Amino acid sequence: MDDLQKMRSPRTLEVWKLGTVNYLKSLKVEDKLVSDRKANRIPDTLLSLQHPPSYTLGKRRTDHNLLIPEADLKGLGAELHYTQRGGDITFHGPHQAILYPIISLRSIGIGARNYVETLERSMIEFASVYRVKARAGHKGETGVWVGDRKIGAIGVRISSGITSHGLAFNIDPDLKYFEHIVPCGIADKEVTSLRRETDTMLLHSEEMMMLCGRKILHSFWTTRRRSIKTNSPSGLTRFNPV
Amino acid sequence: MAARFLWASRAASHLRISVAQRGFASVVLKDLKYADSHEWVKIDGNKATFGITDHAQDHLGDVVYVELPDLGRSVSQGESFGAVESVKATSDINSPVSGKVVEVNEVLTESPGLVNTSPYEEGWIIKVELSDAGEVEKLMDSDKYSKFCEEEDAKH
Repeated sequence: MDDLQKMRSPRTLEVWKLGTVNYLKSLKVEDKLVSDRKANRIPDTLLSLQHPPSYTLGKRRTDHNLLIPEADLKGLGAELHYTQRGGDITFHGPHQAILYPIISLRSIGIGARNYVETLERSMIEFASVYRVKARAGHKGETGVWVGDRKIGAIGVRISSGITSHGLAFNIDPDLKYFEHIVPCGIADKEVTSLRRETDTMLLHSEEMMMLCGRKILHSFWTTRRRSIKTNSPSGLTRFNPV
Repeated sequence: MAARFLWASRAASHLRISVAQRGFASVVLKDLKYADSHEWVKIDGNKATFGITDHAQDHLGDVVYVELPDLGRSVSQGESFGAVESVKATSDINSPVSGKVVEVNEVLTESPGLVNTSPYEEGWIIKVELSDAGEVEKLMDSDKYSKFCEEEDAKH
């Protein structure tokens, strides 16, 4: 395709709505998609899902931020996983929107900092739909905050310019799970959720997550034509160009 | 009097040149070679030193962690050999040439920020013994790399 054609063709984001997925299984899916994206076999792809209760660590393996013995996690119905993403320890669970964009940063020409700021902005815009005034973290506190309470977390891996892992936004998870860790390695700061911060009625989780996903798409491709295709177990659905 | 006039006009012409330059901010050094994944290489006989470029460190944000490879490990051109973490993102670092790791910059373990403040000097990452000197031909020189960075930045 020559350059002019490339500029004219709409940027596609394929969205996979996966429902609740075991953490290890999602890692395997991501690895395969990263490899496919690198080889240009697939377009930019966004995974939209939730996890059963799971604690995860990043590349630096900061397990000193897990405050209870690993053996006790089973009793809580939770698993622990080590990953290659950036960031510290965090918790994922039901009613937390997880979005994993598998996209080529090189083809957009942006780097890690810009990408992460876009993820932050998407979550802030999403929160504003519910009249929750969120903000990006201060230096060294990447993520999305409402006052001094953390509502959205980010942990990303970039391999040959292709992203994996992504963001976790607290819609209405059981916040008690966060008591067993120093979330993201930041002590003395609370974790919060959309449920806690707004009186507005919340939509069904699936719809919430699609809205969050659209915000990400909008943030990345505001000046270009773009379309979203979603792939759910019931078949392929095409959204109108946003 | 004449000397001061000369100084003033030279200063003025210098300022005019600075203002006329485009705002492309990152530093590119002439005597290095560059990979399209934004690593630089300095060749010295059959040894090579590498790190990431000023463009790369600027796009990464503040580096808080550098994962270094073990000594003696082999690296291959274009393949990942380590990673840096910044703003909750780990980014793989790819090897611009193939070889065997003979030295790593341990200082980065305590002071990962050197990658940002001194990407071409104190922020060097590893040194390898080259296994194929011919591979250097596949890399970009400073002019090509500068152009490459401009094109990439123009994409968005």
